[in-house]
Amino acid sequence: MVGMSINLSAFRNAVSEREKRLTRHAGKQKVFGWFCTYTPIELIHAAGFLPVRIYGGMTTVEKAGNLVPNFVCPYMRTSLERALRGEYKYLSGVIQGYTCDISCGIMNIWAENTGLKMFHTVPLPYNTNESARDFYRHTLNELIDKLNAAGGKFDMAALGRSLDLYANIRKKLLRLHELRRQNIFAPPSRDFYTIMEAGFCMPPEEYLELLARLVTEVENLKANPSSGIPVLVSGSIVEQMWIFDLLEAAGGQVVADDLCNGYRFCQPADGSGANPIDRLIDRYMHRFPCPSRSTVQDRVPRVKELVEKSGAKGVIFLFQKFCTPHLADYPALSEALRDDGIPVLSIEMDESGNIEGQLKTRFGAFFEMING
Amino acid sequence: MDKTQNTGKSTKRLATARELQKIVAEFYLEGHEAKKAGKPIGWMPPMNGLIEIFYAMDLQPVFPENWSPVCAAFGLIHKNYMTAESMGFSPDLCGYLRNCVGYINGMMGEEGVPLNGLPEPDMIFVPGAGCVPAMKNFQYIAKRFPEAKVFNADLPQVPIENIQRYHIDYALSEINRIIDFLTETTGRKMDYDRLAEVVRLSDQSCALWDEITSYRRCIPTPISAAEVGLMFVMVTRQGTQLAVDYLTKVRDEVKQCAEQKTGIVAEEKVRLFWDNIPLWYNLGLFNYFERYGGVVVAETYSAAWSIRLDTSNPLEALAMKSLQSYPMVSCVSMQRRKDMVLRACRDYHIDGVILHSNKSCLPITLGQMDIKRALQEELGVPSVVIEADHMDPANFSMSQFEDRAGSFMEMLLQRKGRS
Repeated sequence: MVGMSINLSAFRNAVSEREKRLTRHAGKQKVFGWFCTYTPIELIHAAGFLPVRIYGGMTTVEKAGNLVPNFVCPYMRTSLERALRGEYKYLSGVIQGYTCDISCGIMNIWAENTGLKMFHTVPLPYNTNESARDFYRHTLNELIDKLNAAGGKFDMAALGRSLDLYANIRKKLLRLHELRRQNIFAPPSRDFYTIMEAGFCMPPEEYLELLARLVTEVENLKANPSSGIPVLVSGSIVEQMWIFDLLEAAGGQVVADDLCNGYRFCQPADGSGANPIDRLIDRYMHRFPCPSRSTVQDRVPRVKELVEKSGAKGVIFLFQKFCTPHLADYPALSEALRDDGIPVLSIEMDESGNIEGQLKTRFGAFFEMING
Repeated sequence: MDKTQNTGKSTKRLATARELQKIVAEFYLEGHEAKKAGKPIGWMPPMNGLIEIFYAMDLQPVFPENWSPVCAAFGLIHKNYMTAESMGFSPDLCGYLRNCVGYINGMMGEEGVPLNGLPEPDMIFVPGAGCVPAMKNFQYIAKRFPEAKVFNADLPQVPIENIQRYHIDYALSEINRIIDFLTETTGRKMDYDRLAEVVRLSDQSCALWDEITSYRRCIPTPISAAEVGLMFVMVTRQGTQLAVDYLTKVRDEVKQCAEQKTGIVAEEKVRLFWDNIPLWYNLGLFNYFERYGGVVVAETYSAAWSIRLDTSNPLEALAMKSLQSYPMVSCVSMQRRKDMVLRACRDYHIDGVILHSNKSCLPITLGQMDIKRALQEELGVPSVVIEADHMDPANFSMSQFEDRAGSFMEMLLQRKGRS
């Protein structure tokens, strides 16, 4: 496999030692959690705090099962479970961009049951006209007030620097996505998304250094013909890396994604505006669309374009079970792809992971069908 | 109620409730006549001030979400779900969404659909607020009717206790944008005096609704949740004289029953609160408790349809209405919802609470366990969780319900020394 010689241990360690490292980090800088990539993390960083993404992963749900029904998506259930177990004690609070109904509601359950102090939801506009921008400015000013009240020291110059920092990170990540499309950097997807995940739980300054070194290394690699059938994966967050292992073992190769722990976090890298707040707003308003924040009509051409650009021969939808935004977009999206001759496969992931046998069969049949 | 089935109609006791069928039929007939007459028809979500704007501009509103309970009552949902599933809609999605997309891509326009179904839209209002299934529903409606003009609306989604001036200003700017869109699309101009009158009528409906509800504090209650169908008027006719006239009649009847101490059952032994949306295909469930002398005297859901308006400033009144109704009953503010349930339990002298864990509506279901805990700790009021679905009988088991609800009722009776 191309890129196997590259050492990714720094990324892997950041992920596997997340709790220990962030607990230590919280002693010198407040750490705030976030669920969704519409959270304005640059603003949190500019106030002097470390924003980190909350993960759930594979785990048995016990405590959370007493607070939420079983028809909540695994990501929300398992992250709540970890919070109730005390695994997020290093957080000073949770800051959330209003996206899906469930993340909003779950945050309120966190507020009631975890003992963390600060919770804030940013009510984002859906439109992009001037009134919507004006409204967005107000919502961000309200967040700035909250961050300052929590001990932050926000100023515009700091926001400019934070925007530069995250723009540089996103540019490097987009470069990795591009190199993956070109089959120059084609690590197992498990590694690719571990690189992404490390960025969600590390200080961004340190992460950028690691990324810069990685990109320089992989740019010197030479393209190799792909051995797998190129596919695009689409969904919300994918935490179960073993699903990628099965996909690749069955003969597939992920060349592009429409995931919120993938391409959707990065695109676009930056925005533009007369001042840092407007630059931030501009970026978030032109985000590669998530179904929670966009219409299916807007999303269909963007995903189709991504498929075309990547050369994917099929699309695999990896849904968090019960994820309404993604499940609801699926009929229109799959219809549009099939009309273009792109085969699709949909998989629903739960927190149990008891679908391995079924997945092997389904991936195998899907790739066999593509191969004709 | 047929005990072997998951569906059943409720037994209504109010004489005025019998008029409701006519009001429902007339609303749908009016839509079809409007279509024939060339009156512009707009499909929209409820609860957001649009209805008052439509009535003020003499346009025809249609509420696809409200059509779903009608489909449930007429037994159309199974066929609509089959259509939706054949298109790729997961059975885990909200029943309103599946029913609506199934209907518009299936039986719509076919002969023999009760009430002739819905008239096709000339305009579609795609919401940028409320729950995600509602937003997606209207996106699919827009996809199905490409000839219709589409307005993508937006609205701040904030807890009621956090509403600030800038939220109201943004809601106001959206209302003005809607009026401009309607003027441009239909050629009709807003008559602001007429709007003031419509807002006044809308507020009057809410005042009447609140008054009707207040009589449910009486022991025995003169009206139970089995009459929840009355909400049709609050959903589809707010801002009209018809709503005011009808609700006045209901109020008079309820008031009289309260004064005469006419209750729902011979002996009212247990007073219940229902949290979450009713089972539209089985409103008869509300009558189930009566065999134990139990009556559902209050519920969360009906509160969202009554928001008093400041009639001195009609546009701002509608902005406030739009900001409050969804957060009032959903998980946008857990504290607010919990306070509302606890207050209702005090005000209505509630003995027990039924928490409907609703597969079709997570925004209302989330937080129920925190409410359950608060009910016990702060009021000592017991509660029971019933797993069901407000739109899909496949997610409801009558026998399991009877097991759980029966034990709960026996426990409540024992607590009150009435067993």
